[in-house]
Amino acid sequence: MRFLFLSIIIFPILSFAQTFSVNGVVTDTEGNPLSGVNVYLEGGEKGSAADQNGFYEIKNVPPGSHALTFSIIGYKSKKINIIIENKDLELSVSLEMAPIQSDQVIVTAGKYEQKISELPVSADVIPASELSEKNVINLKEVLRYTPGINMVEDQISIRGSSGYSRGAGTRVLTAIDGIPFYTGDTGEIIWEAVPATQIERIEIIKGAASSLYGSTAIGGVINIITKDIPEEPKTYIRTLIGLWDKPSYSQWDWSDEYRTFSGLTLGQSFRLENFGVSFSFTHLNDMNYKQSGFFNRYIGFLKSEYKFSDASSIILFANSMNHRAGNFLYWKDSRNALIPPDADQGQTTKANRLMLGLLYKLVAADNILINVRSSFYRTHWLDETSSHNSSTSRLYRTELQMNLSLSNNIMLVSGIEGVYSNVRSNIFGNPDAKVFGLYTQADFKFDFPFTASVGFRYDYSKLFSINSFSDFSPKAGLNYSLSNNLVLRSSFGTGFRAPSLAETFTSTTASGITVKPNPLLKPEKSISAEIGFNYRLNENVNLDAALFNNEFYDFIEASIDPADRLVFFNNVTRARIQGYELNSKINFFQGNLNFSLGYTYLWGRDLQKEKALKYRPRHLFYISGNYTFHNFEAGADFRYWSRVEEIDDELASFIRDGEKRVEVYVLDLRGGYNFLSLGLPLRISLNADNILNYNYVELVGNIAPIRNYSVNLELLL
Amino acid sequence: MGKKYLNISYLIILFFSGCDKGISPEEQTGFSGAITFLGEWPDSVARTHLVVFKDPLNSINDFNAFNLRYVSLEIPYGTRTYKYNSADSAYVPINAGVYSYVAVAQSKTPALSLERKDWVVAGLYYAGNNITKPGVLAIPENTMVRDINIIADFNNPPPQPPGGD
Repeated sequence: MRFLFLSIIIFPILSFAQTFSVNGVVTDTEGNPLSGVNVYLEGGEKGSAADQNGFYEIKNVPPGSHALTFSIIGYKSKKINIIIENKDLELSVSLEMAPIQSDQVIVTAGKYEQKISELPVSADVIPASELSEKNVINLKEVLRYTPGINMVEDQISIRGSSGYSRGAGTRVLTAIDGIPFYTGDTGEIIWEAVPATQIERIEIIKGAASSLYGSTAIGGVINIITKDIPEEPKTYIRTLIGLWDKPSYSQWDWSDEYRTFSGLTLGQSFRLENFGVSFSFTHLNDMNYKQSGFFNRYIGFLKSEYKFSDASSIILFANSMNHRAGNFLYWKDSRNALIPPDADQGQTTKANRLMLGLLYKLVAADNILINVRSSFYRTHWLDETSSHNSSTSRLYRTELQMNLSLSNNIMLVSGIEGVYSNVRSNIFGNPDAKVFGLYTQADFKFDFPFTASVGFRYDYSKLFSINSFSDFSPKAGLNYSLSNNLVLRSSFGTGFRAPSLAETFTSTTASGITVKPNPLLKPEKSISAEIGFNYRLNENVNLDAALFNNEFYDFIEASIDPADRLVFFNNVTRARIQGYELNSKINFFQGNLNFSLGYTYLWGRDLQKEKALKYRPRHLFYISGNYTFHNFEAGADFRYWSRVEEIDDELASFIRDGEKRVEVYVLDLRGGYNFLSLGLPLRISLNADNILNYNYVELVGNIAPIRNYSVNLELLL
Repeated sequence: MGKKYLNISYLIILFFSGCDKGISPEEQTGFSGAITFLGEWPDSVARTHLVVFKDPLNSINDFNAFNLRYVSLEIPYGTRTYKYNSADSAYVPINAGVYSYVAVAQSKTPALSLERKDWVVAGLYYAGNNITKPGVLAIPENTMVRDINIIADFNNPPPQPPGGD
């Protein structure tokens, strides 16, 4: 068995029997070439992406019958049955626009390419165009408008999975091209770390995904897919200038000057035969509307690829961030809502982060794909305060994944993963953590058409001096196309999350709040179930609905120890989160005018205290409208979150006027013009966010972004 | 058709104009303003406070804990301009009412003393331009009275209430 495994690794390029290529040009219905179209053979792992001229080529295709699929966001996918008979096949196709995008292909749900319409779980995709249209420099700005998602400052919650844990742990796994992207100490995410210009799309899996991704994915997965390195050299310049409006109340106007924010990204990509590289440098600066809320960040991003052959390639990622920021924990009081308490003024934080990632891809045989993902993530931060809190963490991770297509109808995805992290800190101590995971998932496709998915993951965790944990997370899912227009889906699975080192070992005092360690902390577990359907009334109307139920055990929350009144993380409760989600997309005027609507009802309950879970709005509603006319586009995004019923009462009592919170109404407006048709590769967009200048908090004592305006210029040479 | 769109636009405008601005500053009972210090601070000053008395200080007996209705936190030595808000912080918070004497008082003793002889008035609140008598401060319920500004001129101190050194 070991020999077989080694032979797959060491001798990847087995002598292929006589093979042929399939190539051609992909255009739209008017004959314009379409670049970036995914072209792949179903059941195997062979695929390609169309270049700038719409040209694609898949090599090493064995003789026989194959199903060839063409897909790209914004167009109807096309599946063509082909027969290779001892010669290359030239096949050019045209794709029709499909404003309703239910057949997008994503890679996160099963760790291989799958259509959204064939998944047993709810998923969403944010395309790069949306990041550009909304002048996004921080991904949380666009995630806030995704159905089922709400944010508490930087902390993301999918369908109510997370409340607020003071940055010490997350229930949503965030990854870049499948490589988890969380720090070794607190597990936090820096949403600005990946430049928006490098992102192809963001894939979102709603619901527990621990059976493939292990701990942290108990509430879902956000996978940031970066752009492929283009065949032609590209230079990219993006500059953004913004202005914070004056606050609604004169009492809050603490600054004599207008506050601004800005961003500049310079990027370059090119290929030299088998080698390709794409890199960018970004500078972000925000004076901020809050005193001590400023930041200054330098972000470097590198993606380089070397193709050993058509069957194997290696990609190296490097992502660095240097950051200096003010430290605004909470307001002085509601009359001084944009300045911190006197004792906290002038506090700053410095941080340096470096992530290195290695992705090795090998098509070992027609039906075997091997992925090796390794990463190193170092983070260091220092509070420039009287406490001088600091932490340095290193996280090493390696995953070996094998996709085995047993036939055109059975796909087996298996892998092993090892993670080691260590921390050197005056508030977390010097602990280390080891995690080992083993997973497998099998997807069976039948002709009904019907897809069944079963899988499990085993995890072993050891956190420094405390007892080791192990967990077994099974899952099962079904997807059934009742008709061309109606797809049913259901899934059942378990999840778990090991406590982060920060949750277990934090010992510090900040702004008058003292946190103590809890070495008795246990992992939390969940059982999740979902049923849903997707109905396409016609090309212009699509409806998606889901009903979900999540049971949580040993839920970890920050709480007050009654013995000494100190804050600590504890397995406090048995919790239940139930709800439903309705999403719809509607188009008018051949897709020139389109709307997206989403409504999520969340019933999150602490079953022991018989109270609502903290920081979970019961109602979340979103509507986005977009209008395109020739090169001009305009849009509006509106969201409503109901007032959260429960917050940290202890924290609220500590902060003056801390109990103040309201429902959320935010309206953003945007407009843009593309000069490409005039021969200039330039796009200009204008944004006005929170145009109603509505004041609300996501976290106790923190006014969310007030009205601001921005201008964005993008130049692609 | 046009009328229909007009109605929809009207409804949208009505909806958004009906929305309030969300969180607003909590209006508290109290007063606020700025104290401007002119001249060199005397070396003998150990502590400085903004104080409010309910009744006029007509005799030494009026300087007592029951008549004293507000004492701010300590104003740092050497301050040139001190912006204050009585709701922010105080040793003795203030309630709604009418107050006859608002002053910047300085003590030579490090401890917070209630002995009249330990205190010197460095600045006095006057209503408008009338500097012939101390200004009266009226604080209605749930109202923050603003611009209660005081100049403390060390070279030209105000009249001292009875009972001092």
